[in-house]
Amino acid sequence: MERKRGGSRRSYSGGAGGMGGGGRRRKAWTEQCKDYVRNFVAFMFSNIGIIGLVIGYTIAGSFMFMAIEKESVNTRVDQVVKARNTTVANLWQATCCTINLFSEETWRNTVHVELLAFQKSVVNAVQNDGYEGEQLNGNRWSFSGAFLYSLSVITTIGYGNVAPRTEWGKLATILYAIAGMPLFLLYLSNIGDLLAKSFKWTYAKCCLCRGCARRRRQMSTANNCSQATGSDSAGAAEDSCSSRETSASASVSDDDDDPQTVTVPITLCLAIMVGYVYGGAVLFSRWESWDLLDGSYFCFISLSTIGFGDIVPRDDKITSLQGVGLSFIFCSMYLMLGMALIAMCFNLMQEEVVHKFRTCGDVLRRIVRCRR
Amino acid sequence: MDDIEDDRPHRCTAIVYYAWKIFTCLFTHVMLVTMVVAYCVLGAVTFESLEKDFELAVKKNITYMRNNVTEDLWILTHQMPVLHLENWTANVTSRLKIFENDLVSAMKKGGWDGSEDPAVRQWTFAGALFYSIIVITTIGYGHIAPKTQIGKVTTIFYAILGIPLMLLCLSNIGDIMAHSFRFLYWRICCYACTRTPKRVHGPHRRGRSFKSTGRSHSGGGRNTVRSRTASLRRWGRNQQGSQRSADSALALSETLTHSYSDTECRYYDDSEKEPRELASGSHGRGQKRSGTQTLPSQQQTSYPSPKQANQGVQEVRGVIAAPPVLFNKYALDREDSFVAGQSWNSGGQHQPRGKPPETIEGKPKRLQNLNPPSSDTRLYLTPPPQPSASPSPNTRSRRMQDLPPQNPSPKIMSPLGFTVHRQTYPRHYRDMDFYSDFDYYDYNDENPSSQIKPVPIWLCVFLVVSYIIGGAFLFSGWEGWGFPDSAYFCFITLTTIGFGDFVPAKRVNKNKNAEVSIALCSLYLLFGIALLAMSFNLVQEEVISNVRRIAYHLGIIKDDDDEDD
Repeated sequence: MERKRGGSRRSYSGGAGGMGGGGRRRKAWTEQCKDYVRNFVAFMFSNIGIIGLVIGYTIAGSFMFMAIEKESVNTRVDQVVKARNTTVANLWQATCCTINLFSEETWRNTVHVELLAFQKSVVNAVQNDGYEGEQLNGNRWSFSGAFLYSLSVITTIGYGNVAPRTEWGKLATILYAIAGMPLFLLYLSNIGDLLAKSFKWTYAKCCLCRGCARRRRQMSTANNCSQATGSDSAGAAEDSCSSRETSASASVSDDDDDPQTVTVPITLCLAIMVGYVYGGAVLFSRWESWDLLDGSYFCFISLSTIGFGDIVPRDDKITSLQGVGLSFIFCSMYLMLGMALIAMCFNLMQEEVVHKFRTCGDVLRRIVRCRR
Repeated sequence: MDDIEDDRPHRCTAIVYYAWKIFTCLFTHVMLVTMVVAYCVLGAVTFESLEKDFELAVKKNITYMRNNVTEDLWILTHQMPVLHLENWTANVTSRLKIFENDLVSAMKKGGWDGSEDPAVRQWTFAGALFYSIIVITTIGYGHIAPKTQIGKVTTIFYAILGIPLMLLCLSNIGDIMAHSFRFLYWRICCYACTRTPKRVHGPHRRGRSFKSTGRSHSGGGRNTVRSRTASLRRWGRNQQGSQRSADSALALSETLTHSYSDTECRYYDDSEKEPRELASGSHGRGQKRSGTQTLPSQQQTSYPSPKQANQGVQEVRGVIAAPPVLFNKYALDREDSFVAGQSWNSGGQHQPRGKPPETIEGKPKRLQNLNPPSSDTRLYLTPPPQPSASPSPNTRSRRMQDLPPQNPSPKIMSPLGFTVHRQTYPRHYRDMDFYSDFDYYDYNDENPSSQIKPVPIWLCVFLVVSYIIGGAFLFSGWEGWGFPDSAYFCFITLTTIGFGDFVPAKRVNKNKNAEVSIALCSLYLLFGIALLAMSFNLVQEEVISNVRRIAYHLGIIKDDDDEDD
């Protein structure tokens, strides 16, 4: 935290210096502009800016995909409707016009063949063209649908319920993913770090008794020291031990008022993740009228970026503001927050696991040395 | 592994070390792959048994539905007193719409694949195996997905266990591949550039040094793969990294005599890696602490130096340069001040092409450092303008006091560093870390020029692109897709987006080739993801330094922003 703060402070002071130079009219306006641009870019890559950057990128992507994929929507529905109409016409032919050999057996056979052909065409439309039933025609590449699509690309979830059908759409998807995935990773690491820090701070301030932390630190100091004394060259060991002690004690004294050194227990992280998935399940099961299992399945599959796309929120459930489906937007927000939260939890868990491993390794090593 | 006999004259600890090393090697490489395969097979069996019956039921239901429609139409036709075209058409159309909706929902919710033949199933063993792979690589095509309740629950738990396992395995394979690729590139493709390494130590080390350099190097390189899951063990690696930098600085002092340009480049890389990791986010405090912890061990390396003064004359020159370099490096490591950032960036800038100038530059800098050692290092050590940890001035001053005793007896420094490194590290750090450090050191000694150099970015990009294009050719021939579609499929698969609009063996069913196709695709994507991991591994540091440079020029050098690009 301090590092980051220090860095940004430095940069801001540098920027301020630049602006001061501009105030003295010593600098050319290009320099001034450059400073402003620099500050702007720096801000864009800071914690708050990156959120805006990701959202802006997603919105830009959704407009782009809307523009590219718009025309491919209607052909799919038309195909199915056409197939249905031909089927009906054929059935009518079979029913009325071949009346001279009108027996139930032959009629049934004819109808069976027709229905099979119709079924095949429907299956084809669903599998190849992404047909989803007639009532869901128009709004697949609506703004919110395209937004969710863009987000699912850059998060590598890839639901696939909405997928580009045109060549240009596929090309654009590839390029969009190449630029977008690093951006989203950046977002994840930034926001994850930020969340982890704030969560640790909260945890240290609210939930942790200070005695535990102190005891843990002292224990680690003692460990280090005892390892050092085991070293072969006694002088070096003693020296290192003493120096280690000083450094460790100094760091302890330094760390006392620093919440960033506490490790959050794994169970808490797991509880957060499970709670988030469960909360999402409750939310989605209310919105989408799924049952709870489907909701949590959807949340898990999404947040782990597997993204089967067999269960996806429907756009037409919550449509309030000028036809913009809010459901996808809610889903996107849930995903963005959730992935950052999971990144945070992994961050914290990894710290804790490393800590545990190190203590384990120390113990093991001491045992080995004792045996020798 | 054959070195046990050679090393027997050492202590019995050596045997323990090598046993542990063999164990870890076996465990990490063979066991992990075996575990992943076993896990996939287990998942395949489980999911097949869970989902088979439901799929069959859905299939039967389709036939039933269609027969229903026929029945309804017959009744409808019969009940009509007069056959009217309009009425009849409207009724039949509405009935067909219902049928169509049933079909669509059977495909969406029931996971019906469009064929009614009960012999053709999606959830065969091969299909379930493919499904397991798709889940734990997080690709998630979704062309087959569990439809039963228990299948969904099982998928969740299967993924919770499987995804970390797969990541671990892939990063491991990626490391091995990166190592061998780097070796291949610099040994075979650029044989002319390599020089015969100077042999300082016993012959037995050379063989060993090869085996595990991959691991030692890969420590930092794994970042990318894991950064998706917020990189396990990052913290530990930071410590390992900072330790290793001390190591590399030491090793550098020896190799400096031969002035291998590439090693120096690589060391710049290494040292560049540190501030990045140090600066990376939330572990700032912890890293600072680890930084202070590494201090004493470094003192240890240099302090008890008078013990062993039995090194060759040719060492001396390099050794003379050692302490300043060491501390110089260290200062660079610990620091994220603006000035130093600039200097790395310039160093990184030269890396790809200007190697000879780099050496010419690099050497005098060090020698210069040598002459007024304390003042120069002090210049580097001036505390970075940050609210730094309070212990650091403390330890720094200690170190500065330690500095003078080393310089009078410089030649002892490096052999001693060697042994001390060997003995101290396992006590302070985990065994794996120790080994990697240890090997790293050996390997710096023996093969300074062959593998250290980074592989150029364009080569890796070219590799990945050609892999995608090759896959596109393969799939367009195999699945009958167009070439752009195949390329799109390969890209979507390898980035683990996995839309599922193109899936292998979806329509090959009729050709009875489903198993072969699925196996082919699985191999392609597993190898491809490992290849991606490898190229990330290779490219990462260079990309990061480039991005840092760009960020610096743009004015966003702030320590942390561009690491994950």
